[in-house]
Amino acid sequence: MVKHEDVRAEAKKLLESGKVKYIIAYELGADGWKANPVFIKKPEDVDKIIWGPTCFHNLIRFVVDEKRRKVQQKNPDTRPVGVMVKGCDSRAIVILLQEKFIERKDVHIIGVSCEKTGVIDERKLANKLKGRKAKNVEFGPDENFVVTTEEGTVDLPASEIMADRCLECIAHVPVITDVLFGEKTKRTVPHPFGSVEKIETLSSEDRWKFWSEQLEKCVRCYACRSVCPMCYCDECVADTITFAVSPDTTAEEKAQKIKWLDKSPVISENIFYHMVRAIHLAGRCIDCGECERACPVNIPLRMLNKKLEKEAKLLFGYDVGFDSEKPALISCFRDEDPEDFIR
Amino acid sequence: MDKILAKKDFPRWLEALGAYDVYAPQLIDDVWNYELATDRKAVSLDYPQTAIPAKKIVFPQREFFFEFREADTDDYKLKELLPEGKPTVIFGVRACEGKAVTLTDLVFGGEIADDYYWKRRNAAVLVGLACASPPSTNCFCLSVNGSPHSKEGLDVLMTDLGDQYYVEILTDKGKKLVSEGGAIFHEAKPPDKKAAEKIHADSEKKLARELKNIKDVPAKLKGMFASPFWDDESMSCIRCGICTYLCPTCHCFDINDEVESQTPLAGRRVRTWDTCQFPDFTMHSSGHNPRPDKAARLRQRINHKFQYFVEVWQNYQCTGCGRCITLCPVGIDIIKVVEKVRDHAN
Amino acid sequence: MRTNVYLPKLAKVISVKEEVGGVRSIKTFRTQFLDGGFTHKCGQCAMLSIFGKGESMISISSSPLVKDYLQFSILKMGRVTSAIHDLEVGSIIGIRGPYGNAFPIESWKGKNILFAGGGIGLAPIWSVLQTTLLRKKDYGDLTLIYGARTSPDIVFKEELADLKSKMKVHLSIDVAEPEWKEFVGFVAQNILDKKPSPENTIAITCGPPIMIKTCIKALSEIGFKDDQIYTTVENKMKCGIGKCGRCNIGRHYVCKDGPVYSWAELRQLPQEY
Repeated sequence: MVKHEDVRAEAKKLLESGKVKYIIAYELGADGWKANPVFIKKPEDVDKIIWGPTCFHNLIRFVVDEKRRKVQQKNPDTRPVGVMVKGCDSRAIVILLQEKFIERKDVHIIGVSCEKTGVIDERKLANKLKGRKAKNVEFGPDENFVVTTEEGTVDLPASEIMADRCLECIAHVPVITDVLFGEKTKRTVPHPFGSVEKIETLSSEDRWKFWSEQLEKCVRCYACRSVCPMCYCDECVADTITFAVSPDTTAEEKAQKIKWLDKSPVISENIFYHMVRAIHLAGRCIDCGECERACPVNIPLRMLNKKLEKEAKLLFGYDVGFDSEKPALISCFRDEDPEDFIR
Repeated sequence: MDKILAKKDFPRWLEALGAYDVYAPQLIDDVWNYELATDRKAVSLDYPQTAIPAKKIVFPQREFFFEFREADTDDYKLKELLPEGKPTVIFGVRACEGKAVTLTDLVFGGEIADDYYWKRRNAAVLVGLACASPPSTNCFCLSVNGSPHSKEGLDVLMTDLGDQYYVEILTDKGKKLVSEGGAIFHEAKPPDKKAAEKIHADSEKKLARELKNIKDVPAKLKGMFASPFWDDESMSCIRCGICTYLCPTCHCFDINDEVESQTPLAGRRVRTWDTCQFPDFTMHSSGHNPRPDKAARLRQRINHKFQYFVEVWQNYQCTGCGRCITLCPVGIDIIKVVEKVRDHAN
Repeated sequence: MRTNVYLPKLAKVISVKEEVGGVRSIKTFRTQFLDGGFTHKCGQCAMLSIFGKGESMISISSSPLVKDYLQFSILKMGRVTSAIHDLEVGSIIGIRGPYGNAFPIESWKGKNILFAGGGIGLAPIWSVLQTTLLRKKDYGDLTLIYGARTSPDIVFKEELADLKSKMKVHLSIDVAEPEWKEFVGFVAQNILDKKPSPENTIAITCGPPIMIKTCIKALSEIGFKDDQIYTTVENKMKCGIGKCGRCNIGRHYVCKDGPVYSWAELRQLPQEY
């Protein structure tokens, strides 16, 4: 079991020694049962740090912010930031290293093993509780969670309320760390691409219908993009100003930039946006599932990315986010790469 | 006079409203939202809180202003595209959302009224449902001049009495709507009124969250504009649009031309929701951005709701629905932020 | 008759004049409404439409006393202003407005007016300058201190030459040029050099943000009080009527409550412009 005290002691040590600038971790939210991201700057604040089944967030998103801030500063503090990572999150670091967005010395990685279970899915839990409100959720001794409501405590199996991403997780122990808490448990994942299997059996018409209905719901709040540690581009086709403007950018340049999509949340534009995002995440998405969790209208966005992850695996034997020394999938060519799908 | 409607007669009322578009909360993919009720028999008012507030019906995320079309050489024909203003009824509007509509009324009204908004607004009948228990764990309406059974902005207020609804008619629009139901409505008796009042009184005790003593917050905010407080509070903000798009009082919008044909040029000028949380919202064409970072943008959201709006309209631009708290992917909590402002040393 | 605030009126471009060439080109356009129109006050703006590209808020540089056209001097900056620069005589555009408050020129009667402008910043003050010039007997001394980066960047070149016979005109460029006979330096430095008297005088300063800042400082230095100094603010705008929510500085919407502010008012507002 990962003990809060151990993580806190490590955090305290890091802050006291001045080895890290600050630590990105989890704290208990105002609702009393869910975790929130927290930024610990002082050793006396380390007792805020928690670890549990509501630590959904991929905190690498904030490592991206830190990098953005740093490039703006004249004399940036070059010490690393400490960051708590789950297995999936650690794979995001691998991608950022692979793409040279950050350097290894920029982060001090405090890994936590998800051991037997990962995080819960709030919507699954709400359905299970049927109106009762959760007050506390903890890891159970086996593949289960202990949920406390106003009516008492219940044991719920992981298979029922765990997030889909965790049910299909292939890296429940962080793949890159400076320090690791928890055990390197073994877990078998019978269906690593289970969530896309059903839709793969549908005809293309039915798939089109499914996605049209799903993406019609999109309100284009861009939470999926905003929460994603891989969506770090300064320029995005989805924005009205689709490129970085400096005082030297000429009016001509601005006028000639193509407006790729309209702001209207209509099916054509929504599909375009989500396709662009999915394609740009091919071979990069590490399946932290944050896009799907953040979506206020519950679009199964993870499925899109999972499908591309599967393609990368089947076509190129490429596992995303395990080895930062290997070139990124979409920026390398090998002689043995298959070409039979090019027509 | 207040009325009583048996729950079993509720579908009959809906069916009698043939001339209206009927919106009601519906559960789609585990998310509640106000949707057009195609099957009126299936409408149930047993729901917690929708993700998208009822504002989307009077102020849709996308609407057309006009169509432009290139006519002869260098000439244009413009065609105004005002909404037709079809009678629309929204069932199950929560008190906080009814109140929110009165706040957007202020913005879109005034000396220069927004025709597009008012065309829909005037055609909409808001049927409220008093909250017997808080629909969300983050409800705090009582703290921002509201209540779980507020009548503000509503045309009819219904209160669930178990197997019947207590129906209060609040406006002429509401009166007409109830009259469509005819004989299914009965006169309410004093015990019914008492029962409704008890539910209302009890509901006020059930709110889990509150935001106390915020009288001085507007003045406090004024003095905190340049404070590093905003940098700290916004650290976890990911600059998405959830808190504002899904806020029942947020009304900011964008106007763009959508081109359908280049030669001859034809297209439409379109209004869409926009948000102060997107970096390009305030960015000048030169690249200069008066709100360059997320600290400035979080400050704008809080200041608008708890200072600027108060200065102009003497009310908070927040009705305590808690959506921005519940749905924020990183747990930014407006109650906590405003409390910290309140307790901030000057 | 009901008017739809978002529906522009069509207008024809009747003249186009290139003031400044190059990448930061400035052109002056005169337009006539096809049907009807509006009357504006000095300092107000109008939303210009290029259909298919969008709208841009531009200050009206002609005097309200001129009835047969509206004049706009526009710096090529982005998508819409680039499209405006492509317009020719006879082109049709959309115009809605007028928007915003105005310079309180009625209350300035009997006072001297000092205009301090830089670059394209002469456009918003041009309508006041022209109006006060046409009603010269109502006002005291009129003085213009205007500067640009280089001599080719000076706008309204012919008008300025003509103006010299009617009022005091002090020009400047940032860096010396062989043929340049007038002041070399920034507008603020020229203010300090000419030291116009603050007595019974209103100063209007418009230009790039840094110029406004230094000019206000210079004016304060030579004795102008905060309520004697006026300027205009610009922010990104969409609706023009205080509803779309993007151009606010504190509780003020620049499109509706601005763009004209006295320094006494503006310094009370948060610096978000």
